[in-house]
Amino acid sequence: MVIGQTVKKWLRFTYGIPMLFLNGCAHSGLLLLEPRGLLSDTAVHYFTLDVGIMLLIIVPTALLAIWAMWRYRRGGRGAYRPDWSHSGRIELVVWGIPLVTVAVLSYLSIKAIYELNPYNPTILARTHKAAGRPLRVDVIATDWRWLFIYPRQHIASVNELVVPVHRPIRFRLTSTSVVNDFLIPQLVGMIDVMPGMRVKEAMVVNKPGHYLGFSADYSGAGLSWMHFDTHAVSVAQFRRFVAAARSSGRGLTDTGFNRFARPFIAVGGARQVFGRVQQGLFGHVVREVMRGKVWRTPMDMTENMVRYMKQQRAEQNAGEY
Amino acid sequence: MSVMSRSENARSLGLWDRDHEGHDVIGTRTFGFWLYMLTDAMVYAALFATFGVLSHVVNLAGGPSPAAVVHPVYAYGETVALFVSVLAYGGAMVALKAGNKAALIGALGAAMVAGGVFLGLAYSDIERLFHAGIVPQASGYLSIFFGLILYHALHILVGMVWMLVMIVQVMTRGFTSNVVYRLINLRLFWHFQAVIWVFVFTFVYLQGTVL
Amino acid sequence: MGRLSLRQIPYQNPILVGTFVFALILGAAIVGLVTYHKRWGVLWREWLTTVDHKKIGVMYCLIGLVMLFRGFIDALMIRTQQAIAVGPHSPGYLGALHGYLTPFHAGQIFTAHGLIMVVFAATPLLVGLMNIIVPLQIGARDMAYPYLNALGLWLTAAGAALVMVSLFIGNFAHGGWYGFVPYFELPYSPGVGVDYWLWAFQLSVLGTTLGSINLIATIVKMRAPGMTWMRMPIFTWASLSANLIALTTFPVLMVCLALLASDRYFGTHFYTAGMGGNLMLYNDLFWVWGHPEVYFLILPAFGMMSEIVPTFSEKTLFGYATMVIASFAIGGVSWGVWLHHFFTMAAAPSVNSFYSVTTMLVGIPTGVKVFNWIFTMYRGRVRFELPMMWAVLSLFLLLVGGLTGMMNAFATNDYMWHNGVFVVAHFHLMVLLIAASIFGSVEYWFPKVFGFKLEARWGKAFFWCIVLGTGWVFIPMFLLGFAGMTRRLDYIPYTQWGPYLRVMLVGMGFYILAVAFFFMHLYVSLRDRAKNRVGADAWGTSRSLEWMTHSPVPAYNFAFVPQVHARDEWAWRKEQGVADLKSGPYRDIHMPGNTGVPFVLGALALALAFALTWRIWWLSGLALALCVAVVIVRAFAEDTDTVISAQDVERAERRYHDGEVVPMEEPMGRPTPRPAT
Repeated sequence: MVIGQTVKKWLRFTYGIPMLFLNGCAHSGLLLLEPRGLLSDTAVHYFTLDVGIMLLIIVPTALLAIWAMWRYRRGGRGAYRPDWSHSGRIELVVWGIPLVTVAVLSYLSIKAIYELNPYNPTILARTHKAAGRPLRVDVIATDWRWLFIYPRQHIASVNELVVPVHRPIRFRLTSTSVVNDFLIPQLVGMIDVMPGMRVKEAMVVNKPGHYLGFSADYSGAGLSWMHFDTHAVSVAQFRRFVAAARSSGRGLTDTGFNRFARPFIAVGGARQVFGRVQQGLFGHVVREVMRGKVWRTPMDMTENMVRYMKQQRAEQNAGEY
Repeated sequence: MSVMSRSENARSLGLWDRDHEGHDVIGTRTFGFWLYMLTDAMVYAALFATFGVLSHVVNLAGGPSPAAVVHPVYAYGETVALFVSVLAYGGAMVALKAGNKAALIGALGAAMVAGGVFLGLAYSDIERLFHAGIVPQASGYLSIFFGLILYHALHILVGMVWMLVMIVQVMTRGFTSNVVYRLINLRLFWHFQAVIWVFVFTFVYLQGTVL
Repeated sequence: MGRLSLRQIPYQNPILVGTFVFALILGAAIVGLVTYHKRWGVLWREWLTTVDHKKIGVMYCLIGLVMLFRGFIDALMIRTQQAIAVGPHSPGYLGALHGYLTPFHAGQIFTAHGLIMVVFAATPLLVGLMNIIVPLQIGARDMAYPYLNALGLWLTAAGAALVMVSLFIGNFAHGGWYGFVPYFELPYSPGVGVDYWLWAFQLSVLGTTLGSINLIATIVKMRAPGMTWMRMPIFTWASLSANLIALTTFPVLMVCLALLASDRYFGTHFYTAGMGGNLMLYNDLFWVWGHPEVYFLILPAFGMMSEIVPTFSEKTLFGYATMVIASFAIGGVSWGVWLHHFFTMAAAPSVNSFYSVTTMLVGIPTGVKVFNWIFTMYRGRVRFELPMMWAVLSLFLLLVGGLTGMMNAFATNDYMWHNGVFVVAHFHLMVLLIAASIFGSVEYWFPKVFGFKLEARWGKAFFWCIVLGTGWVFIPMFLLGFAGMTRRLDYIPYTQWGPYLRVMLVGMGFYILAVAFFFMHLYVSLRDRAKNRVGADAWGTSRSLEWMTHSPVPAYNFAFVPQVHARDEWAWRKEQGVADLKSGPYRDIHMPGNTGVPFVLGALALALAFALTWRIWWLSGLALALCVAVVIVRAFAEDTDTVISAQDVERAERRYHDGEVVPMEEPMGRPTPRPAT
C-alpha cells in the first residue's frame, strides 16, 4: 500500500512537469526564474532574450531533421539521389545562420556582462544614481558557515543576512579555508569566494521578503548545511535589527574569530549575532590567510558525522564557539 | 560504358598494392619522437606559464627575492657545459654520417661528461641555496623556481642514461636501423633540452637578477 | 608500509563489504571459468601480450564498459541519496544523519562517478574504437607503434585498477572529479583519497598521451597508397583532430596534477591560499586541459555519426570538406575557451566577454555539422537500423545539449547557475550524446571485429530505455537547475527540490532496465551468433575501407594493402563492379611480434602508483627502478617482428572465402614465429 501510494505520488509529479511549463513559473519553486532583485531581473531579461533567439534556430532545425528523416526514409516519398553531396548555396546558409546567430548573441552577452559586472554593475549606476550611500557588507565564508559583517554598523550576523530593500548593497567577500561560491538565487548570481583574496559583488533587492542563499562550490562535509537566509526588510526594520544586534552585547575580536573559524557543520542552523565587531576584521582575515594561516580539517571528522556532531554540540554548549 | 569495361578500367588502375614494402622505420620513429617532444614542450610551456604567474611580489611571501636566489655565475657555467655537450653530440652525428663507430662513441662520451659537469654545477648551486634556507617550501616563487630547474635537470639525467645505453648499443650492434633512429631521436631530445635551457637562462636567471 | 595498515580496510561499511563480496564472487567465477576451459595460455599469448591494434581496441572497450558499469552504480547511489535526504526530518541510515551516505562517503561517490565516466569509461571506449577502426580505414596493417599502443592500454588499465582498489583499501577523493584547490591540499583533505585520485588520473594521462602520439603518427605515416588527405574517411579526420587536441593538452594536465602532488608530498606552495601560492592557477591549468578534453571526446563521436549516417542514408556524406573544416575549427577553438569554467571567479568583464564569445564560436562548426547530417539524409534512403537509431538520438541530444551549452556560454546566464545542476544536466546530455554515438558505433562496427551482428530485439529495448531514462532524469534536472539547486549536495536543504529528485528516480529505473537489456542484448547476440554471421560488408551500404576486408578482420588486416582511388573507396569499388576480395597469389607479411613487456610495465606502474598513494617509499623506489630497467632491457631486444608466411595467408584467406567461422582470438597465421630477416 505504502509503496503504491509513493509511486502514485511520484507519478503525479511527473504529470506535473509539463504543467509547470504551462502554468508559468508563478508557484513552481523555480527560484532563478522568479527574480526579486535588480541584478537578477536583468540576468533573467537577457536569459529570456538568449533562449528566445536560440529557439528560433534550434526548433526549425529539429523540424527539418524530422522532416528529412520522415520524407527520405526507406520507402518514403522523397526522391533518392545517392550522388548528391554538395551544394554551395546550402553550405552558405549552414555557415551563415550559426554565424549570424553567434554574432547577435555575442553582442548581447558582452552587453550583459558589463551591466552585471559584480565589481561595478553599470545597470546599478544607471538606475540607482540617487539611491543614497550603498550599504557595505563584508562576507567571510568559513568551514562551513557564513559570517556577514556590517563594518559601518560594527555588527555581524551568522548565516543570516538582513538587508534593506531598494538600497544598493556592496559586498566584499573572502574565505578562511577553501573556495566557496556565494549565491542567492532570486537576488544575485554566483561569485567565487576565495581564501586570501577579496572579491566584490553588488545587489539591490526590489521586494521585501525572505530569500534562500546557498554555498555552491564544494567546500567539504558541511557544504549541504551551509545555506543562509536573506531577509529583505524596510529601512525601519533594518534599523531595529542593527539596534538589537548591538544590544546583544557579544563581541567578535580577531582571536575570537580564530575560534569561530574552526570547522563547524551547521546542522539545524547556526544563527548568532555579534554586537561589537573588531574594526578591520575582514582585512585581517585576508592578510592572515595570505601569510599561511590554515584552519585544518581533522582527519576523521567527516567519516563519522554523528559522533562529530555530538562533540560539536557539546563544545557549543560549553560556549566554545 | 558497360559494367564489364568499367570494372576492367578500374582494375587497370590497380586495386591492391602487391609490392607494399611496409613503412619506413626510421622516418616513422623519428616522426613519433617529434610528436613526443611536442608534449614535452607543452609540459615546459605549462611550467613557464606557472613561473610567470608565481613570480610576482606577492608570491615571494616575504621570502628571498629572485635576485637573492639566482646566481649568474653558476648559470653561466651550466650554459657553457650544456652547449659543449650539444656540440659534442653534433660531432657524434657527423661520425654517424661517416659511419665511424669509434669517433661516435668518443663524441657521445664527451657529451656525457659535459652533461655531468652541468649536473654537478646544478647540484652545487642547489646545495648552496638549501644551506641558505632557500627551499621550495618557503614560497610560491621558490616552489616553481626549483620545480622548473629540477625538471630540466631530470631531463639531462635521462639523456645521459640514454647516451650510455646508446654507447653500449653502438658497440654491440653497430649501425642497425634501430640504433640509428635512436641516435637521431636522442639528438632531437638533447638539442631540445639546450633550447629549453636558453629559456630557463633568460626567464629564470637573467630576468631574476633584475627583479 | 607507509600509511597503510589493516585499519584502512573499510570492513565496517556494509555497502563496501557487499561490493567486495560481489567483486570476489565475480573474480572467482572468471578465474574458475578460464581455468576450467584451460584458457590461461590463450589469454596470455593472444590477449595480454598482444600488440594487435584490434585486440588492444577490444580490451580498451572492455575496460570502458566495466568502468561504465561502476560509474553507473555510483550514479544510482547519488540519485537515491538525494531522493531520500530531503529536509531536516528525513531519515538517516548507516551512520548518516540523512539518507544512507555520510558526506564523506557521498563525496567519494560523486568524485569517483565523474572521474570514472570521463577518464575511465568514455575515454577508453573512444580510444578503443579509434584503435580498431582508424588503421582499417586508412588501409594499414597496424598502428605506427604497436608496442607503444599496448603500453598505453596497460597504463590506462593500471589507472582503472587503482580506482577500483581504492574501494576496498582506504578511500577515494571526496571533492569533485576535477579537484578543487585548496580543498585538495593536505590541510583540508588529509587522507589518501586525493592521492588515489592523483595517481589514477596521472596514469590515464600518460596512457592517453602515448595513445594520441600513436594515432597521429599512424594517420600521417601509415595511409595506404592513393589515400590523399582529402580521401581520408571522416572518422579518421575526426580522430586526427581529437588526438591533436589530446597531444597538446594532456601534458598540461600532467603538470597541473604534478604540482598538486608536489604540494601534498613536499609541502610546496603552488596552489595554497597563503605563502605565495596561487589557487586560481590550478583552475587555469586544469581547464586548459579540461575543456579541450570535452572536444577530444566529442569529435570522435561526431566522426562516428558521420560514418553511420551516410551508410544508413545510402548516400555520400553531404559537405565532406566542410565536415573536415568544422572538425578542425572545433579543435582549434577548444584551446581558447577554458575560462568559461570559472566565469564566476570575478575576472574583469573584458576577460569574461572574450571567453563568452569564443565559447559561442564553437556553436558555428557544431551547427554546420548538424546541418550536414540532415542534408546527408535529405535525398537519401534512410534505414532505421540500430546504429542509425543511436546516431539520430545523438543528433537530438546534440540539439538540446547545444542549446543549453550556448545558454551556459552566455556569461550572465552562467552567473545564475554556474555551480548548479543546470550545468550538470547540460554536460550529462553532451556525454550521453557521446555514449549514444559509442553504442551506435559498437553496433555498427561489432560485425567487423567479431564477424556477426548484434541481435536487434533486446538492442531496441535497450535503446528505448536509454531514451526514456534520459528524458525522465534530465528534464527534471534542468528544472531543478532553474530552481537554483546547487551541485554535489549530500543533503537537500530546500524541500521544494524533493519532488523533482524523486521523479528522477523513475528515470533511474529505466536506466537500470537499460543495463539489464544491454546484458541480454550481449548474451542473446553471443548465443545466436551463428544466425547473424556476416561477410566483409556487414551492412551492405558501407562506404569506407574497413569494410574491404573480412569479418572478423584477420591479424594482418589486408592480405594486400589496398590501392585507393576515391574518397569512399569501397562504395567506388562496388559501383565499378570490382568489390571482390580474392587477390592471390599471396606473399609473406611482416607483423610486429607479441610481447609481455607492456603488461609488465603496466603492472609496475600500478605498484608504483599504489606505493606513492600510501607513501610506501621502498616500494615506490623499487617499482620505479624496475620500470627503468625493463625499458632499457627492452631497448636491447632486436628481433621484435614476426612473419606470417604466404601459405598461412593463403590458408586463412581460403577459409574466409569458404565462409568458415573464424574466431577473433585465433592465432592467425602465427604458428611458427620466426625472426624477421
